[in-house]
Amino acid sequence: MIEALLKYEFLQHAFLVGGLIGFLAPMLGVFIVVRKLSLIADTLSHLTLTGIACHLFLTQHFSFFLQLHPLWMGMSFSVIGAVLLEKLRHIFHSFKEFAIPVVLSSGIGLGVVFLSLADGFNNDLFQYLFGSMIAVTKEDVWTVFFVTVIVMGLLMLFYKEILFLSFDEEQARVSGIRSNFSQLLFIVMTALVISISMRIVGILLVSSLMILPVATALQFARSFKQMFAYAIIFGELAVVFGMWAAFSFHIAPGGTIVVLSLLLFIVLLSGRKLLGLPVRVYRSKKEEM
Amino acid sequence: MKENDCIDEVVRVKDVFFQYHGQPVLENIAFVIKKGSFTGLVGPNGSGKSTLIKLILGLLNRRERGEIYLFGTPLEKFKQWSKIGYVSQKANSFNSGFPATVFEVVAMGLYGKMGLFRFLRKGEKEKIDEALNTVGMLPFKKRPIGELSGGQQQRVFIARALVSEPEFLILDEPTVGVDAASVKKFYQLLLKLNQEKNITLLLVTHDIGVMTRYVTDVLCLNKTLHFHGTAQDFETSDLSSVYKHDVQLVTHEHGGFHT
Repeated sequence: MIEALLKYEFLQHAFLVGGLIGFLAPMLGVFIVVRKLSLIADTLSHLTLTGIACHLFLTQHFSFFLQLHPLWMGMSFSVIGAVLLEKLRHIFHSFKEFAIPVVLSSGIGLGVVFLSLADGFNNDLFQYLFGSMIAVTKEDVWTVFFVTVIVMGLLMLFYKEILFLSFDEEQARVSGIRSNFSQLLFIVMTALVISISMRIVGILLVSSLMILPVATALQFARSFKQMFAYAIIFGELAVVFGMWAAFSFHIAPGGTIVVLSLLLFIVLLSGRKLLGLPVRVYRSKKEEM
Repeated sequence: MKENDCIDEVVRVKDVFFQYHGQPVLENIAFVIKKGSFTGLVGPNGSGKSTLIKLILGLLNRRERGEIYLFGTPLEKFKQWSKIGYVSQKANSFNSGFPATVFEVVAMGLYGKMGLFRFLRKGEKEKIDEALNTVGMLPFKKRPIGELSGGQQQRVFIARALVSEPEFLILDEPTVGVDAASVKKFYQLLLKLNQEKNITLLLVTHDIGVMTRYVTDVLCLNKTLHFHGTAQDFETSDLSSVYKHDVQLVTHEHGGFHT
């Protein structure tokens, strides 16, 4: 494996990108899970596909788009979808979850229309759906690096605001935190991270890289800071070994990464039980009463 | 209104009306909360207590008529939110599985005051310890918030409100779901905050019997303001007995609902 890594440039690219998303995705995932927005990650990843389908369609008619990386269009759709989602959730405040299926299915519908028009049901599409290591170019590495820097910067700037809003929105607003702005910013960051993760993990599996390591971390962390540490460790383990397995056995990396995340979750949870440590059960307030 | 007129006023509510889906919730509310006072806001369920609090805090902004001043500034222009601490009914707005320690929760109380890109410094960490010490929760600093009892969590939320050193603290039904022994300790803590730290308090409660022993002023609300005066005047008024009867009934039902 090490030999191959030294020999093939595409593998180096893939591992660089993998390392970055194995860090970013679980980190944002911590906020997504505690805010109970897990399905939003899924919605935004499907919108990225819509963007890529749109790009594919446009390249057939306008040569200008050939020079553009499809990821940019994917990101734009995902970000626009994120803003729309926030608006819908705001308008239908008491039916918040209804915004998710509306945006998700509209996105896929539109994507399928673009794909059909562009004759896009081919091998490329599978790489977008389930991830690929072969397709990772130097340009991808730079795009992912660029987005990582932006998201990390924003997260450091607005960590306090986003944390407080996640914990208790009403209290956060009373202490003078601008909730609408921070909320929007967070969802846009999520859209960006999902778009870049798609290269390796694939659209259908991105959200699990954000959620599974966090679910495992919830069993171990004793503070919010530890949540990040655990989630990132579990995320990186899954990505690195998942990519190694994918390369060795010729499997789509999205699959191996998610299966490894799941195995990690099951093994560590059973381990807790075998060692006699309690498995943490998370009940909602109503059940307690 | 001149600045000097309101130097001693923490809250001034003037002719406030509020409707919810066409139903009047608050009618013609007017009162002043003086600096250093400890006011109890009482009234039966659905009397508009929480609505009034949310209006004062700017969480609801569609009031039909009237004006609200905080520290002499019209609510719309008020910016110094760190002067005001708010402890809500915790059951409504906090996810008990949230993986944060007591320390991390209290630190949030400083976030509104701190600038962007700022992390906790030593002085701020000391402030957090001090706030935890005031409410007697310092030994629990590193414990996850979800592992604490209802009464302990409520103390932590008070510490969070205290950490930004507010001059005015609003507590909305803080004793719901807290056992009787803790309730007494809780009132003693409030008294300490009011008398030693000179924090103006506004306490929303059902628990009228215990409350009148500690507060200086009483506001009785049921859509309109039925009483506003000192605690002694309230005790001797007819309203007191009427309200006591009503409110205790409500408290009983409330308790039964939750357990």
